[in-house]
Amino acid sequence: MSTLLVWREKLQRLYASYSIYILKGSQFLLGLILFGLINYNIGFMKMASSVFCTAGLAVICTFLPMVIMVIAASALILVHFYALSLPIAFVSAVIFLLMYIFYFRFTPKKAWLVLIAALAFGLKIPFVIPVAFGLMGTPVWIVPAACGVISYYMVDFVKGSAAALKSADADGIAASLAGFTKQVLGNKEMWLMIMAVVIGILVVNMVRSRAVSNAWKIASATGSVVCLVIAAAGNVALEGNISYMSIAVSAALGLVLGFVLEFLFFSVDYSRTENIQFEDDEYYYYVKAIPKVGVSAPEKQVKHITEDAGGRNTEDILLTRSLSKELGIDKEKTE
Amino acid sequence: MLDKRKIRLMTKAAVYEKEYGGEDFKITGYYKKDYASLNTWITLIWITAGYALFGGILFLCFGEALMEGITIMRLIFLAAVALALYLVLVILYGIGAGNFYSKKHIRAKQRVKKYLRDISRLEKMSEKKEIYRP
Repeated sequence: MSTLLVWREKLQRLYASYSIYILKGSQFLLGLILFGLINYNIGFMKMASSVFCTAGLAVICTFLPMVIMVIAASALILVHFYALSLPIAFVSAVIFLLMYIFYFRFTPKKAWLVLIAALAFGLKIPFVIPVAFGLMGTPVWIVPAACGVISYYMVDFVKGSAAALKSADADGIAASLAGFTKQVLGNKEMWLMIMAVVIGILVVNMVRSRAVSNAWKIASATGSVVCLVIAAAGNVALEGNISYMSIAVSAALGLVLGFVLEFLFFSVDYSRTENIQFEDDEYYYYVKAIPKVGVSAPEKQVKHITEDAGGRNTEDILLTRSLSKELGIDKEKTE
Repeated sequence: MLDKRKIRLMTKAAVYEKEYGGEDFKITGYYKKDYASLNTWITLIWITAGYALFGGILFLCFGEALMEGITIMRLIFLAAVALALYLVLVILYGIGAGNFYSKKHIRAKQRVKKYLRDISRLEKMSEKKEIYRP
């Protein structure tokens, strides 16, 4: 355990020294995965789905705030939808606009959470989200998580029925609009996943903020199990086709992520918990104090004998030392 | 010689200017009440537009089923439900946005206050240096 703590300390130092490069690097990687996934899954416009476009967008978004990446991802999705069918692009634009109006106008800096949620669904690890958001955020984070789920399922639906949607275009814009809206909003799997994620986040957040020992571990485990049960039960009830293996693996990954997050952000020693009670004129206080675990990373000190000597050879150094000892120069210096 | 206190204050001020400066100065240009009410009104206009869009989308989905065999009474009932929902939404968002923007103004004002205090400290330090310069 102490080795791990030392590693954590070293990681913190590394981050402090190179935070700008680490942040920009991870932003670039996120952009690359995000735009790559969008272009791979719904690359209906050939020009926009090229590797150059993916890499170019990722590079541009690296040097701009995260909210720009959200806007770029939405624009890229709309461009691909437009290439497929105008009504689909229109309905999707309205859904994105509704997300902006009802939530992101207030917290544009939190818009990147939508990307993370959608990306986790795209990478088939949906139940990592309730654990991560519940541990690191507040109950309000259910909104960006739900928006991420809606965005993912919208893209997934278009990907799965692109040919049918294109042929439906010929029936007329109104019929196409109605058909697409009905199918997107009536997607039972989407609503089931929204419910699982929302309840998961709320459960994890509630348990995490209790004053019980190992609250983070219990929260991660409970959140993963709750999500798994809701998804599995919902799948049976709605006769859906969610893969049980996939949700089980994703819940296990969520649990592991919870432990990693606890280690990185909430390392405490429960064995040294202090329960204190005191009072003032108005209240009785029952305080539970848990000490943080901290280990300072050992520092390596390298002594450069040759450099200090300024190019002199060993014999010269030894001679100087013995002479200064005899003459008592060292003593005078220290005194 | 380098003055550590001065460097610390200057760094703090520069970080503040980079992180919040522009937005905070814009916010504190208004009185709290004016800022909160202006932004609440803007929010309500957005909410009205959003509600109309949402209504449109719902109509696209269930319009056909709703309009089947519609009577005047049913139409009035539907309009009343839509209006009631709109009013609930407007009231909720009105109260929420009012509180949100008031708190935002208070926080911005506190940050600007700290920033100005640091700047005046810096000025005093510079003045002192000028006086004692040979």
